[in-house]
Amino acid sequence: MGGHDAGSQHQFTGIAKYFNSYTIIGRRNCVLATYASIAAIVLFFKLKPKKQAAVTEK
Amino acid sequence: MTLSLFDQFMSPTLLGVPLIGLALALPWVLFFQPGARWMNNRLVTLQAVFMNWFVKQIFQPMSLGGHKWAALLMSLMLFLITLNMLGLLPYTFTPTTQLSLNMAFAVPLWLATVIIGMRNQPTHALGHLLPEGTPTALIPVLIVIETISLFIRPLALGVRLTANLTAGHLLIQLIATAAFVLFPMMPSVAILTSILLFLLTLLEIAVAMIQAYVFVLLLSLYLQENV
Repeated sequence: MGGHDAGSQHQFTGIAKYFNSYTIIGRRNCVLATYASIAAIVLFFKLKPKKQAAVTEK
Repeated sequence: MTLSLFDQFMSPTLLGVPLIGLALALPWVLFFQPGARWMNNRLVTLQAVFMNWFVKQIFQPMSLGGHKWAALLMSLMLFLITLNMLGLLPYTFTPTTQLSLNMAFAVPLWLATVIIGMRNQPTHALGHLLPEGTPTALIPVLIVIETISLFIRPLALGVRLTANLTAGHLLIQLIATAAFVLFPMMPSVAILTSILLFLLTLLEIAVAMIQAYVFVLLLSLYLQENV
């Protein structure tokens, strides 16, 4: 496996400081953010109230 | 009683009593026990030389934290190699053709490596799920792909061993049956088939050893990533 990047040659600013694919911390944060997004999407669809079907008269 | 093609893969029972426990316990009696003497006999020494060589081979690239797995992986290797080789004898049952057995080895050991990684170095364990230098647009896709490939590892480990051994045994039975059936009708073709059977048996001996080695090697690699 490749060696760990110390991240010393990269000077990130802004959001890229925390979410990038070069430093180990950045990669970890990207992974956690992706998992959190997937969990949020799944929860959203699970907890979404279902529409009641209209009652039709005979 | 005529045997069908798949009878060799049925878990053996005798009057309703399962014999798989016996099949699994048999390798233990085949290993040489070191005596109380300082210098043991040739067989014990040969066995020890093989074990030492194997342990060094597997654990040289590993950091010290993983060395406590040496006894476990060594015994797993010996167990698998013995079961595989014994299964090449005629009319024997090979426990490693059973997916249940191979998954029972693969899943807990793989899970142990993942849990060790998450416990001891969670940042590195999670960070490895995203390859270094991935373009930004591809980050979510690659994380999902790497997660799937992580979870597929135990499945691949178990199925690789099962499929290799089952396919080999089935091929041996098919070609042996073909040679046997062809002999009264076309002896020359039967001789060619027998030569093919001989070469296939040599291949299966190699596959038996290699598959055991690959199983243990891959587990040691997964451990290396996480320890």
